[in-house]
Amino acid sequence: MNPRSCVNIHKEWDIVGARQLGREMAKEIGFGTVDQARIATAVSELARNIYLYAKNGQVCFEYIYTNSQKGILMTAVDTGPGIKDISSVMQDGYTTSGGLGAGLPGVKRLMDDFDIESAVGEGTKIKAIKWIR
Amino acid sequence: MDENLKELIINNSDSIVDNWMDEVGRIKAGNYTASISDELYENTNREFVNVIFTSIQNQGSSKVVEEFSEKIINLGWPLSYITDGLQIFRRVTIDFLLAQADQVDSNHFSIVLTSVDEWIEPLIRQLVNEYSGSWENILSLQRVALQELSAPLIPVMERITVMPLIGTIDTDRAKLIMENLLEGTIKHNSEVVLIDITGVPVVDTMVAHHIIQAAEAVRLIGSTCILVGIRPEIAQTIVNIGIDLSKFLTRSTLKKGFTKALEITEREVVDLHAKNQGIEDIMHSLKGE
Amino acid sequence: MRIPILKLHNYLLISIQTEIDDQTAIKFQEDLLAKIHKTGAIGVVIDLTSVDIIDSFIAKVLGDVVSMSDLMGARVVLTGIQPAVAMTLIDLGIHLQNVPTALDLEQGLVKLHQELGG
Repeated sequence: MNPRSCVNIHKEWDIVGARQLGREMAKEIGFGTVDQARIATAVSELARNIYLYAKNGQVCFEYIYTNSQKGILMTAVDTGPGIKDISSVMQDGYTTSGGLGAGLPGVKRLMDDFDIESAVGEGTKIKAIKWIR
Repeated sequence: MDENLKELIINNSDSIVDNWMDEVGRIKAGNYTASISDELYENTNREFVNVIFTSIQNQGSSKVVEEFSEKIINLGWPLSYITDGLQIFRRVTIDFLLAQADQVDSNHFSIVLTSVDEWIEPLIRQLVNEYSGSWENILSLQRVALQELSAPLIPVMERITVMPLIGTIDTDRAKLIMENLLEGTIKHNSEVVLIDITGVPVVDTMVAHHIIQAAEAVRLIGSTCILVGIRPEIAQTIVNIGIDLSKFLTRSTLKKGFTKALEITEREVVDLHAKNQGIEDIMHSLKGE
Repeated sequence: MRIPILKLHNYLLISIQTEIDDQTAIKFQEDLLAKIHKTGAIGVVIDLTSVDIIDSFIAKVLGDVVSMSDLMGARVVLTGIQPAVAMTLIDLGIHLQNVPTALDLEQGLVKLHQELGG
């Protein structure tokens, strides 16, 4: 099994490619249809963020296993402008692009674990995990 | 493992077993196993000590241990019976071996301890594993059973479905409820879904939040949700903690909710007047005479 | 890729069958508004039975197209949103509050018919 699969995000169509890969991998490890949709949607949000704000980046997926559970880890990395104030983007309703503002807090709700690191001028790294119930 | 010691134990198994039976018999009184008949207790003890010896004699023969633990689990005896029994066996055996030696120096002492530990530890490990394995098994079975109980969906008539909720709603259950609710709504092609919370003991912000989300999801898939079973105290808490349910249809009872559901689906309950009509006919015919 | 828009009397019917990317969504918005303008349609049903992902962007486009059509005098009903999609939208915090919905295409048409009085 491929331990880690990635999609580069350069153009808009890559968003679709990334969520298809995310859904496929989620399906393969045994997620139900609802969680597949949650994961694919979260991928879509993260990939769109990269496309809109950073222009260049990568979304990667890997399976993770612990003693008692298994899941999928997605990592979205970009080398964009970074986020100045992380706590404000994690508030519901925050948006700079005229979207619905569901963005990151929405992704956090779709997934089980969510972690974000960002440095202004260097880029942003977001890790999110969904466990199989 | 020290073969001499092993031989010594096996050759003197009778006296070790006697000591062990004595001690184990003593812990029975005032204990978890107090309600068990003396005969069964003694038989089981004998079997237990045989299992211990078999296991010492042929290293790695786990079949007997497995069978024995299965039996104890089925009898419903507590795990502490096994651990107590093995601890006592350890103590009795060490005492016996040390008493046998002509002289006890620290070297001999350590050999005895190590050997006995080597015999007992795999047994403890295996028995405890069997036990916890069976617990986990029961736990997961119960979880499945609980999930099945969790969120039944009842298609009461064409285009109208009822989901009665019973018990506390936590996040996991809320997800399951939502999935069942939405899948069922589509499957039964229900235009109206009644969620009955009569059986939900406490409605706090969290529970209300889950219910609101479910109602909104129902609206998204194109059906209408009516929340019924709102008792006075629940109405009070909902308003007091500041939850806004004004966007949703709510009714105090399933009966009222059902009437509303009929109205939405453009139907009504009609009395056929069969009885009254019959009586009128009779009255009429009486008059005619 | 273009999403086909069918005309039936005063109504427009759209069934979205493909994975929608942002460009297709925006194109669809433009096409639909142009079609409403051209045909004078008073009702629109957008069927989403085959759509298995709606993210915040697509949701916004759909919500916008409903408001825009309303402004042009055409009522829009979304039908066939899948359970998984509905749950995902709720998780995202998107409630599409002012968008009318129905279970399927048929009921969507009935709903429009009722609301518009024929």
